[in-house]
Amino acid sequence: MKRVSVDIGGTFTDCFVAWDNKYIESKALTTHQNLALGFNEALKNACDELNITEHDLLSQVDSVRYATTLGTNALIQRKGPRLGMLTTMGFRASVPLARAKGYATGLPHKEQMDVPNAQRPDPIVPIPMILEVRERIDYNGEVLLKLDEEDLRQKMRELVDKGSEAIVVVLANSVVNPEHELRVREVFLKEYPGHMLGAIPILLSHQVGGRKGEYARAMSTIMDGFLHSTMYHGLGSLELNLRNTGYDKPMLCNHNSGGMAQLNSTDALQTVHSGPVSGIAASETLALQTELGNIVATDMGGTSFDIGIVVEGGVKYYDFNPEIERWMVAVPMVHLVTLGAGGGSICQYDRIYKTVQVGPESAGSDPGPAAYDRGGMRPTVTDADLMLGYLDPANYAGGRIKLNPKRSKQTLEELAEELDVDLVECCKLIKQTVDANMANGIARELRTRGYEPVNFTTLAYGGNGPLHACGVARALGVKTILAPPFASTFSAVGAGNMNQMHIHELSTWTVLYHATTKTLFRDYAKFNGYVEELERRGREDLLRQGFDANEIKYRLELDMRYGNQRVTTAVVTDLHRMNSQSDVLKLMEQFHQRYGERFGKGSQVTEAGVRINSVRVCSFVETPSVNFAGLKPEGPGKKPPAPTSQRKIHFVGHEKALDTPIYGEDALAAETEIDGPAIVVTKATTYLIEPGWRYRATAQRAVWFTRND
Amino acid sequence: MNDMTITPEDKQLLDKFLKDNQLFYIADPEIMHDHDIGPRSEEEERLLSGPTDPHLINMVRGRILAAMDEGNTMIEQMGAAPGAKWGDIVASIFTANGDLSMIAPHGVVGFAACVHYPIKYIIKYWTHEPTVGVHDGDGFIHNDPRYGGIHGTDQSCIMPVFYREKLVCWVSCTIHEGENGATEPGGMPPSAESRYDEGLKMSPFKVIENFQLRRDLVTFLQNMVRDPKLQLEDMKVKLHTCLRMRERVLAILEEFGEEALTISLRQHIEDVQEEVRRRIEELPDGTTRVLTFPDSTLRENALLKFSMAVTVKGDRMTLDFRGSSPEFINRAINCNAASLKTMLLTSYLQNVWPDLPQTMAVFGPIKMLFDEKSVLNGSFETPQPMSLIPLFKAMTIPTIPMAKLSYSLPHRYTAIVAPQYDQPGTFIYGGLTQNGENVGNFCADINGNGQGGRNHRDGEHSVSPPFAANCDIGEMEVIEEELPIVRLGAFTLTKDRVGFGKYRGGLGYEMIASTRGTDMWGFMTGCTGSLFTPSQPLFGGYGPPVYPLCKIQDINIFEQLAKNPGKIKFDMLDMMNNQTVEGGRYSTHPMAMTFELCQNGEVYMMCQGTGAGYGDVLLRDPALVIKDIEENLISHDTARDIFKVVFDSDTLIVDAEATKALRDAERKSRLKRGKPFDQFVKDFVTPEPPEYLPYYGSWDDPTVIYGTSNGKRIKMKGTEIQSMFMPNPKDEKIKALEKQLASVKAELDACRGEAKKKK
Repeated sequence: MKRVSVDIGGTFTDCFVAWDNKYIESKALTTHQNLALGFNEALKNACDELNITEHDLLSQVDSVRYATTLGTNALIQRKGPRLGMLTTMGFRASVPLARAKGYATGLPHKEQMDVPNAQRPDPIVPIPMILEVRERIDYNGEVLLKLDEEDLRQKMRELVDKGSEAIVVVLANSVVNPEHELRVREVFLKEYPGHMLGAIPILLSHQVGGRKGEYARAMSTIMDGFLHSTMYHGLGSLELNLRNTGYDKPMLCNHNSGGMAQLNSTDALQTVHSGPVSGIAASETLALQTELGNIVATDMGGTSFDIGIVVEGGVKYYDFNPEIERWMVAVPMVHLVTLGAGGGSICQYDRIYKTVQVGPESAGSDPGPAAYDRGGMRPTVTDADLMLGYLDPANYAGGRIKLNPKRSKQTLEELAEELDVDLVECCKLIKQTVDANMANGIARELRTRGYEPVNFTTLAYGGNGPLHACGVARALGVKTILAPPFASTFSAVGAGNMNQMHIHELSTWTVLYHATTKTLFRDYAKFNGYVEELERRGREDLLRQGFDANEIKYRLELDMRYGNQRVTTAVVTDLHRMNSQSDVLKLMEQFHQRYGERFGKGSQVTEAGVRINSVRVCSFVETPSVNFAGLKPEGPGKKPPAPTSQRKIHFVGHEKALDTPIYGEDALAAETEIDGPAIVVTKATTYLIEPGWRYRATAQRAVWFTRND
Repeated sequence: MNDMTITPEDKQLLDKFLKDNQLFYIADPEIMHDHDIGPRSEEEERLLSGPTDPHLINMVRGRILAAMDEGNTMIEQMGAAPGAKWGDIVASIFTANGDLSMIAPHGVVGFAACVHYPIKYIIKYWTHEPTVGVHDGDGFIHNDPRYGGIHGTDQSCIMPVFYREKLVCWVSCTIHEGENGATEPGGMPPSAESRYDEGLKMSPFKVIENFQLRRDLVTFLQNMVRDPKLQLEDMKVKLHTCLRMRERVLAILEEFGEEALTISLRQHIEDVQEEVRRRIEELPDGTTRVLTFPDSTLRENALLKFSMAVTVKGDRMTLDFRGSSPEFINRAINCNAASLKTMLLTSYLQNVWPDLPQTMAVFGPIKMLFDEKSVLNGSFETPQPMSLIPLFKAMTIPTIPMAKLSYSLPHRYTAIVAPQYDQPGTFIYGGLTQNGENVGNFCADINGNGQGGRNHRDGEHSVSPPFAANCDIGEMEVIEEELPIVRLGAFTLTKDRVGFGKYRGGLGYEMIASTRGTDMWGFMTGCTGSLFTPSQPLFGGYGPPVYPLCKIQDINIFEQLAKNPGKIKFDMLDMMNNQTVEGGRYSTHPMAMTFELCQNGEVYMMCQGTGAGYGDVLLRDPALVIKDIEENLISHDTARDIFKVVFDSDTLIVDAEATKALRDAERKSRLKRGKPFDQFVKDFVTPEPPEYLPYYGSWDDPTVIYGTSNGKRIKMKGTEIQSMFMPNPKDEKIKALEKQLASVKAELDACRGEAKKKK
């Protein structure tokens, strides 16, 4: 297989090339002014390694796939058009109020609690650009107040006069009856035809999200409208660049839903966070190919610690109302939780508890840890790691960043004094605390879904992942860790392994068991109609992209709940049509089972009624994934190469420093086995093998940590 | 004659006799009066008297908090009550002695802060009671605020955690359930005339044995409420949440040992107390006072004094509420001191020290003084289902004295903020839904109070309830699917109804509600502040305006919208002033409405309110005034008349010079209008509250309390307050009508007599 996958991040553009049995990783700085330049450079680096031209490579690959954080950056920088919004009379403040809790969305817990300093983010659509139109539809789709077209025209004119460059339309209950939203577009296009110069795009909320909830749907539509032109121009120029370099197939975009599609079948919001989500997709591929079973994917970088869950058997975890930047939206996005724990996490004295507090505040990459010597005056996790001897000051991040231990020592000594411990003890406390914080975060994520960490393998990647993996695993009670290969371009690897997929969903009030009337659901045609409609939409998306109808598969997911619960539990069912009472009972039994696993046996309340809240169909075509041979250890372990050096290193739980061998890149040779304590330093990362752990490298340069004490 | 003196020996005998022959285990005053953490147990003393490892404690704390967080998430995800959906929940852990140690990071601290009372009650009364006992696998339920709690809508599940057959701690979770079988649906009946109208009043009792709910008791409770489905669902939610937390605590015990857990739970609260003492000590010594007045009993208009004086001396603080209104023996708005303390705690943690760990131990160094039988310290027999009225005040009013005390500190723990809007502005509802379900509860709008202006910027609009951070007002499409409410006015910021100031309060929003699809539906509301301004402003700002409840009845607005919508705008002022719904009966009322049936298409309107203003309006940046106009938050008139900004009404360009001149003129005018304080006192202050004023509380001397009981003005010593009895407003109305009728009859008789004479 020949394939190129790319992850365009805020700093680096990562490229992963699968060229038959060769896998090439390359990097270049992201060129924000023209994304193609960074991509071309990264591609050139890979081609140099393969000794072919870019044209030859691109003309032979089956696809080029992109994951990108471009959308996130555009949101942070508020780089987008001036939007106008039309909404139902009486709903004008829905977006500005952001369900009240919007002030706290996307903030760390400490800031969420500080209400006196609450500040909602600067709006994407300011209040004066939100206008109401006279219309109202009820929850059932019945028109209560007919759209007042005269009023509509007046409001349209006002928005256009105020300089709207795009218009979003969010009318109450449009997902059950889109009649008014469609009419708004019709009237708008009549007044302001699309073929005119300066035509204004108009986005309808029911076409962006199919679920009820006017605020989250409005934010999804707003973000789509806001990001559209940035993404269009950014990605469009990439596609053009590919055309000019010999690639004649459609460019594929990774989605935050865990699938991908052609550029012409992608909306802007689907691309946001597609980079980190691709990392989870890569984890899923590895899990399948190594038969690892359940996996918790962790990415510890400089500022944050991302956690994703991959469960054997295809249960998918989505956030149905994910938070993007400072807003809640309504698109199904692969669940990803971010904790404020990374190398740059700031360590400070906790006056109340007389101990050390690590994060969530971060020194980021600028100024970064004190050791970076860029003006950082507060100690961080990286500074502690350096003082404990884990990092080589001259060889950090492949030698790209020189560390200044004096700076670390200076800032940490102040903290140690406050803690009334010596420097080393202080650094151990930091290590222990940050590892425990990450372990608690992982435990919470798994346990609230009914899983136990011991039944999961931890996948540790990101710049600081393999350094803290043993510490986190010990705090979590986990015995196996996999540091995957290609860790420095892991999201790009994942981008190359997604299926072409589209998700369509709708809100429904389908009562499977009515507790008051004591009846079971019988309107099978209605339910089957929903599923057929969603399958039809997915099928059309994929047919449009050139797939054969026979290749298309469907996964039916139902969000179900008991009585009037708020949160639903997603049930993946192979029961694609409902035809009898026993089908209804079977579905309820599946829900019963899943709910019990999650919240405890006996927690189910079938007697209070069972309802389906939304129906979701994932339509997908399985495309061949990159096959990673040699991920698992084979045969007996081999002795490690000669260490490059030896140093005294401090470990949590060991009073004195231990003589620790340091290995180089050659320790990644297949089947190398090393017992801790030891350190392996490669260009991409540092593997810290703590006492009581064993390191084993595989043919594909994956590394397994197992407990041996 | 016999000597009637009781000797100590006699007293001992009598006490033993009474203990052996107790009729009713009423809430224990010894427990209820003590908000502080208890003394260390022998074991705690043994473990904590030597050196402890703060870092190990921190590890254990992290694990406990993760367990609480998991519990809280479970409630959120499984809960069926609207309160559970919108954030009115908590999961918490207590020491073996029942002191609150930690709560889940996102929980409502007030809920947890009052559960130590019932736990201590269980320990004291049920542990050794042979018919009850406390065993592994047991669980208790509780909701009566007289035994600890905010109000009867909040139900807690309390579970002891045993390790190797020894009780090591307690876990608990609480949900605002709403419906509880009270005289009106939704659990907060303003019309309650006695505590027997409050619905379920559960003193702590065992409902779980062998880790399972007892179905006979669940059935009993279901039988007492309008929504038996909700009762069952959420009892299961709470049970399984406690079980999950128990499981996690047992894992911590296995990993770290029993001593580590005991030390961590206790040390946590002692650490917090030490920090609070440090923070109090930073404040200047002295006393500062604040007053506020709820303007209704929810049945009749009345001015109820809520008096608060904060005294700081060294590392101790005293909150003195003496001189406040007397209690009402037949009105719903009393609260008890224990409830009030938890809400005061909420205020301190939300507005003053939001970085502190959320635990009751914060109030250890704070002493509180109340008059007996005051509305803030209601006696056992007083009805308390709408205690929210004084409690909402308690959650907001401390920001004023604390702002004054904290303003000049070199380090502030958060911003200085004027009080948030202090009323539970929401519709409470009950009836049969379009989906055939019986429900009674409240709308999530209670979570949308406007924030007060701050030292550095305007208050945020509808930011949170005063009792918790990060709560949700929900989305109408979702709410309308479950309830037969159509929110014609869903979220419209209330123009010109603003707490003005240099930094204005954040606005609230209008709620225009109607009903459709059922013949059995009704609303009620429980707010004061329709006559007397609710939240007090800060440093020269304005308080919020007063808000009415408005109704349009005897019409079906949906019929008119379908046939001839005319100029109907879903805007409260427009509908009321222009009476655009034809044929409607328009009326305004105080925002206190007992439950009434609403016919399909009738319209009920109320507002979430604005926060109070901060600082002088003349200091407000004219650019901010213009921004408010652009955002339709204020009118041109307000900009000119209140903020004294001169601008072009078409272009909105400010005339800076004219503005300065206008503001200077206003300052001069103020000086002219003003008078020296002594003169003001001489002219304005009367020795007693005027007779016509339905006034309750002290006037000048805080030891003398005024009230009107059964129609008669009473003057009492603060130490001898008697309960106020209020006549039934319906009886009063009947009496007045009968009087009117008698007078008409007399006139008629006189006329007839005249006519007869003439004949």
